[in-house]
Amino acid sequence: MERWDSEKELDALFANYKAAVPDPDASVNFMPELWGKIEARRSITLHVRKLTQVFVGAAAALCLLFAMFEVVPSLTRPELHGTYVDVLAAAHPADNLTALGIVPHDPTDPNTK
Amino acid sequence: MLVEFEQIQKAQAGDDAAFNQVVGAYRKRILGTIARLIGRPEDVEDVGQEVFLRLYYSLDQLRTPEVFEPWLYRLTVNASYDYLRKQRRRNESRMSDLSEQQVMMADAAAGGKVSSEDQRQKQVKELVDSLLGSVSEQDRILLTLKEVEGLSLKELEKIYSVNENALKVRLFRARQRVLNAFEATKGGAKPGGRKEKKYGAMG
Repeated sequence: MERWDSEKELDALFANYKAAVPDPDASVNFMPELWGKIEARRSITLHVRKLTQVFVGAAAALCLLFAMFEVVPSLTRPELHGTYVDVLAAAHPADNLTALGIVPHDPTDPNTK
Repeated sequence: MLVEFEQIQKAQAGDDAAFNQVVGAYRKRILGTIARLIGRPEDVEDVGQEVFLRLYYSLDQLRTPEVFEPWLYRLTVNASYDYLRKQRRRNESRMSDLSEQQVMMADAAAGGKVSSEDQRQKQVKELVDSLLGSVSEQDRILLTLKEVEGLSLKELEKIYSVNENALKVRLFRARQRVLNAFEATKGGAKPGGRKEKKYGAMG
């Protein structure tokens, strides 16, 4: 019963609280200050956007630079003629291969002496 | 709705005059809610400006007019909660921190200017503020919206995006804690002195 009374008293307290704390009127500075805050945040956003654009631009330029470094040396490399086997044979003379034991020694071949 | 949806659409499109009208229509109500949620009149305008600032930068996310008011309330709840959380960190009670209203009351009381009705309202405010201090900031806000602002469970459901049963349970527990604090106050103990376990995040 006492709990029930407290419940009712608490309800009454909450009801009176709204009257005790009425809706306040905004000061004359409310809107100017609000717009000041909006503008301040807008300028921060613009600043961050500019920084982001600079960063993205710099990253793109770096990518382009690295790509050029990758492409340019391959253009200056001498062009190879002949098949893969010819190139391989030229790079590894038969005597080297014999010395390494890859190709068996042929006494009739003057190149493998 | 206190404004036509067209006004909101214009504000969404970047019409500053329309945004001013939206703020003008809801300002008093939102400031009143904030005043009762945070309990410090001197900071009400700051929190109110934060609400409308968040509104300005999130208006483009609004799709349907029906959700505008619950959505504005959600912004209000979030800004008030952020404020209360910051306040808890400070948690100092010095004479210089007394609210303007308290100082005015004290001055007026000293000059004998306060009417008995003002005194009674001051007592109600202090008592309810101290009782709500016995629950977490989130429960304080939820309880104030339901018991003081008179929002329905359906409206709270839209604001919190939580189902009705979860809200009922949470409200019941919060109310029981406040009720315990109230009974302790009637028994002569300080409401803040008997803190029970507080609840964490919603949902």
